[in-house]
Amino acid sequence: MAKIKRRGESGAAKAYVTRSAAIKKLQCSLADFRRLCILKGIFPREPRSRKKANKGSSAPTSFYYAKDIAYLAHEPVLKKLREHKAFAKKLARALGRGEWSSAKSLDEQKPVYRLDHIIKERYPTFTDAVRDIDDALCMIFLFATLPSNPRIPPTLISNCARLAAEWQLYVMRSQSLRKVFLSIKGVYYQAEVMDQTVTWLVPYMFTQTIPTDVDVRVMLTFLELYQTLLGFVFFKLYTDIGLVYPPPLDIKKDEEAAGVGAFNLNEIPQPDALQSNPGPNVDANGKKISSKDVRQTIKSINADASAPSAGTKSTALEAEAPSTEETFVPQPSKNATGLETVDLPTLQSIASLPQTTNTSLFSPFVFFLSRETPRPLFEFIVRSFGGRIGWPASSGAGSPISEDDESITHVIIDRPVVPKAGETETQALLRLKRKYVQPQWVVDCINAQKILPEELYGQGKTLPPHLSPFGEQRGAYEPLLNGEGGDGNAAEAEGSEVDEDEEMAEDEETAPILKEATVADPALLRAAEIAAEAAGVDAETFSKETKKAQKRSRTSEKTVGLEGEENMNKMMMSNKKRQLYERMKHGERKRAAEVSLSHQR
Amino acid sequence: MLKATSNKRKEREEDSIEEPKSLQNSSLPLNGNLELNDESGDEQSDEEDSDGVQEPFPELDPASDSDSDSFDEEDVEGLDEDEESYPDDSGSDTSVADDVTPFPKPRTIISNITGQPKRVYPEIEPDYDSDSSTEEDPTRIGNVPVEWYDDLPHVGYDINGKKVLRAARGDELDKFLSTVEDPSTWTSAMDKKLGMEKPLTAEELDIIQRLQSAENPDANYDPYEPTVEWFTGKGKEEVMPLSSAPEPKRRWQPSKWEKQKVMKIVRAIRQGRILPSKPKTSSDAPQYYNIWSNEDPSSSHVPQLPAPKRRLPTNSESYNPPPEYLPSEEEKKQWEETEKEDRERDYLPQSYPSLRLVPAYDQFIQEQFQRQLDLYLAPRLQKKKLNIDPESLIPKLPSPNSLKPFPLYKSLRVMHESRVRCISVSPDGLWSVTGDGKGHILLWEVTVGRPVKRWKFDAAITAVEWCPRKDVTFFVVALEETLHAIIPPNLSEPILKATRTLLAPSELPANGSAPTVVKWTSDLSGSSEDKPILSLRLPASSGSPKQVVFHRRGDYFATVCDAPGQISIWIHQISKRHSQSPFKKMKGAVQRVLFHPIKAHFLVATQRYVRIYDLAAQQLLKTLQPGMKWISSIDIHPSGDHLIVGGYDRKLCWFDLELSDKPYKVLRYHTRAIRAVHFHPTYPLFASSSDDGSIQIFHARVYNDMMTDPLIVPLKILRGHKVSDGLGVLDIKWCSGSPWLVSAGADGTAGVWFS
Repeated sequence: MAKIKRRGESGAAKAYVTRSAAIKKLQCSLADFRRLCILKGIFPREPRSRKKANKGSSAPTSFYYAKDIAYLAHEPVLKKLREHKAFAKKLARALGRGEWSSAKSLDEQKPVYRLDHIIKERYPTFTDAVRDIDDALCMIFLFATLPSNPRIPPTLISNCARLAAEWQLYVMRSQSLRKVFLSIKGVYYQAEVMDQTVTWLVPYMFTQTIPTDVDVRVMLTFLELYQTLLGFVFFKLYTDIGLVYPPPLDIKKDEEAAGVGAFNLNEIPQPDALQSNPGPNVDANGKKISSKDVRQTIKSINADASAPSAGTKSTALEAEAPSTEETFVPQPSKNATGLETVDLPTLQSIASLPQTTNTSLFSPFVFFLSRETPRPLFEFIVRSFGGRIGWPASSGAGSPISEDDESITHVIIDRPVVPKAGETETQALLRLKRKYVQPQWVVDCINAQKILPEELYGQGKTLPPHLSPFGEQRGAYEPLLNGEGGDGNAAEAEGSEVDEDEEMAEDEETAPILKEATVADPALLRAAEIAAEAAGVDAETFSKETKKAQKRSRTSEKTVGLEGEENMNKMMMSNKKRQLYERMKHGERKRAAEVSLSHQR
Repeated sequence: MLKATSNKRKEREEDSIEEPKSLQNSSLPLNGNLELNDESGDEQSDEEDSDGVQEPFPELDPASDSDSDSFDEEDVEGLDEDEESYPDDSGSDTSVADDVTPFPKPRTIISNITGQPKRVYPEIEPDYDSDSSTEEDPTRIGNVPVEWYDDLPHVGYDINGKKVLRAARGDELDKFLSTVEDPSTWTSAMDKKLGMEKPLTAEELDIIQRLQSAENPDANYDPYEPTVEWFTGKGKEEVMPLSSAPEPKRRWQPSKWEKQKVMKIVRAIRQGRILPSKPKTSSDAPQYYNIWSNEDPSSSHVPQLPAPKRRLPTNSESYNPPPEYLPSEEEKKQWEETEKEDRERDYLPQSYPSLRLVPAYDQFIQEQFQRQLDLYLAPRLQKKKLNIDPESLIPKLPSPNSLKPFPLYKSLRVMHESRVRCISVSPDGLWSVTGDGKGHILLWEVTVGRPVKRWKFDAAITAVEWCPRKDVTFFVVALEETLHAIIPPNLSEPILKATRTLLAPSELPANGSAPTVVKWTSDLSGSSEDKPILSLRLPASSGSPKQVVFHRRGDYFATVCDAPGQISIWIHQISKRHSQSPFKKMKGAVQRVLFHPIKAHFLVATQRYVRIYDLAAQQLLKTLQPGMKWISSIDIHPSGDHLIVGGYDRKLCWFDLELSDKPYKVLRYHTRAIRAVHFHPTYPLFASSSDDGSIQIFHARVYNDMMTDPLIVPLKILRGHKVSDGLGVLDIKWCSGSPWLVSAGADGTAGVWFS
């Protein structure tokens, strides 16, 4: 006879446990359970049938995998948490009895847990870890600027600030920053590290206060995990490019608010390199650099960084930046060595071809920050793209370039134009030599992967819209990217997009003018063209759009002819498919409505 | 506690009451008094005898024994001898301290019995300690609890058995008077045994006072007695050891085992196995190392599902977005009014002319926190995103254009005065006859639409049907409880003759055994075309027949009546002029009946089921379950294997009779109730009409092999009939031989639909 199956002994009832059952099994408090879940990355699961998993009850509970909980039961951290509970009791007793010395010795023996094994468990490979540092970076950058309070000790803040600076130093050094976006929430950065895109958000430089509806304990637990994770990730990243981790901090500079400049990036002394290069101290600021170091860096960067794009944009830049020749730039200056090396494509350069980002975009330029621009933001961006940057003393110490330096090519300024009265002749001369741009220019250049004309972004001018480099969701409204500043390249790109659009056969994407153009009558077409020209659409694009519109109208006619038939075929769908179809159509209609709304504006 | 003491006090009262009687020395201290008092000796006195002095052991009185109990002489003698020897042993001691000894001095006398000298001790007066039961009770009632007599007038019995009456007790007024008169009343207490008030003595009052002030009740008790040092102090030291064993070595030698244990710890500390105190500085700073130095991909641990990344920002989040992203006032208002959870995006797009003007984002920390809550509290599900074109879900069917011919448009219209309820097409497909709600019957040509002849009856026509025979031509009209067979005009002579002989034979066939309740009457004159040639009168109150359907050979036809509780199905045989009802009773209201086109089967559609009967074997073959609430119409495919069922609940079911008794396909495309369904007799077409005023044409190809499913392709929706009073197209019929359709609409028109 088969074994009698009893209720609640197999299947979902056994595979899932409720949260309270899990806490009971682990014999810990809810707070400890939360902490464990955060550290171990265990999250509730949604059973296919809640009723079956909860033994017939449909009470609202969260479920965990029974195996996850069994796995937690052997966790060393849980053991440490229990020890900590006992320790807290002992300490409270000692304090209550006034036994100060025993309390002190107890406090010295306080149980402390380490999270190394958890990091290794959760991220079995380094790539896994790098893929998951987005949230960690966001938190670190947030806490690096928070004011300390009794719940957030200053050591925590300083550690977060150190980690943030280390990450920035690494990104600058490896030139892996790809995209920057100035949003209303903060600044989004995207870097490419170990073939993983890492995106993080940094709030603007304002004092944040933790609101009351936020549970700080949860945030601190996450932060605990993230600090450890980032420590290990940075260690590996630093050692992989031959740097000492943690980079030593120059406290004097740090006190002068030098920011990332307070850290020294030391290379790991290698046994063979020791004799030849006794003290390879490359300052991150690029100040005290011998010519040898420069040569070395050039060599290394030519080897590993992206191949310089073969003279597509170089000639104009060369003409612009001969003055930078005399001051050495730590990044590859293409005008010096790039042209020779490019002729023979190496294996590495071929390998890095698909990655078309130009990491030395700003290498010919020397920037100077105006007082009102956020220095950490632009120092990080500009140096990540190979530029040199200086700032006034009010923005912090350690500026490599003073304001009256001859080599400065761009001044990032964010204030309205005010006529200056007492200006000396040299100052006026300097003013004429330099280009004054608004901060958005730097970011837009990075996102566009080329140097945009500075005139549009001049001081006090109304800026062109700042678009997200991450793009929109599929099928959403795309604002016209080319604008007036677009050159042939952009138009080409636009054209290809148009073709794609045609294939997608999206409706109602054209302006009302173009709707008129669908009419076959040449006279009407001509009138429409004139109207379009008046509206500011150039002839080429107009003809393209009309073609597109005509094509679309043809296809739509076709669909109209078949419409009745398709509707008829719909009645042969099964109920399930019909519902799915209706849902998809609903979504499509909603998106189309949004897009058309944006077009109407 | 207080009660207990008061009890004692009462006992003492008794004692003190006794004292003046017996001894007359009330001035004696209480202790001495008790000692002397031979009368009162009970166990309470033991407690009060607390002076700490050891009482002498009560001596047995041999004399008294001998006096009272003379019969056990031997025992007494033995005792005596023992006692005689006792003072001898301690003779020296007693002589030393003669007056100290507790024992009284004996007298030596010569015994009368033995003649030997004998020591006689003085008689022991029974003391408190003596267990004497001879003490006298003042009340002479015995040692009986007084409360036994609470309800009785007396308080016990005296030694002579007389009742001892309770002492007279004054009432409350007496009590009050006595308190006024006698100043000592308040220091007196009730003696229960005597049943009267007794004044307390000075000693007793003293005890009360002491108890009240929580002192020791004994006035002589001294709590601060000087200690008597018996074994300590000068001159009393013990100089000799109690044991002569030599002192053990462990008293003065250090322990070897302790030393070994300590050395073990010392060695462990030296070797570093035990850390006396943790190093403090190194633990503070976390140590990092290459944790991924040995990445083994063959780890048994299944990697977790990585958390989804946060959504990347879009253009609308820019600090300086294109103006089309900025929300209008009403959008802003709507955004602010919606709940935080319901908002499509968690921010309002805003535009700042310059970067320096961008403020801090006030929801920054909340959003970070929300993300963390999502990370550890939200269940993660892998949802498959369907990346398919919704159009691909629509089944690919052959184009209707390739399935022509089928009716496409309405070409002709025949007008009636009221709603056209039924329609029928002649077997050659050229003539059509329609009946309306006012009793008019119209015969018209299908290709022209011209009415040829009009009949008028005085009741609404409910059904009309052509006989499918080719050699005769007539049609049957149903109106309330009557059926009329009508011969259309302009027939060729042989057909007319054949029809006449069939419907109105000169000699009636021998009506055999069962006389039927249906009355058959023929118009034998046959002169007038306006009159029906044959009339059938159904039994009274059987209701109007709502359907007339012919067997394919044309000899039989069946009618369905709609009166409840009556026999609703009749099968009429024309050649024998005989009607019968095949079913005695039917479960459910019959909606439609149908003859099977090939077999001798009969299909009956009740409100919810379709039953198939074998007419030859007279048994139920199968019951089909369309799953509808109310069947309106059925039709069977000419091949006889497929059935369509239309229902008032807008569904149309296709049954494969070979396959199952559940529908092969259920279609729901009409927006209102389906009224009629019909298969084309030759073309692979079927149509359904509905109260929404539309007719749907389907291509229905049925394959001969069992494996291929029938192909159903919707072809065309024919609209043209108006909906009046919620009724649309009431009946449809195909014209045999051509893909044309005729329809009867509730708007008073009959239409012809050409391909």
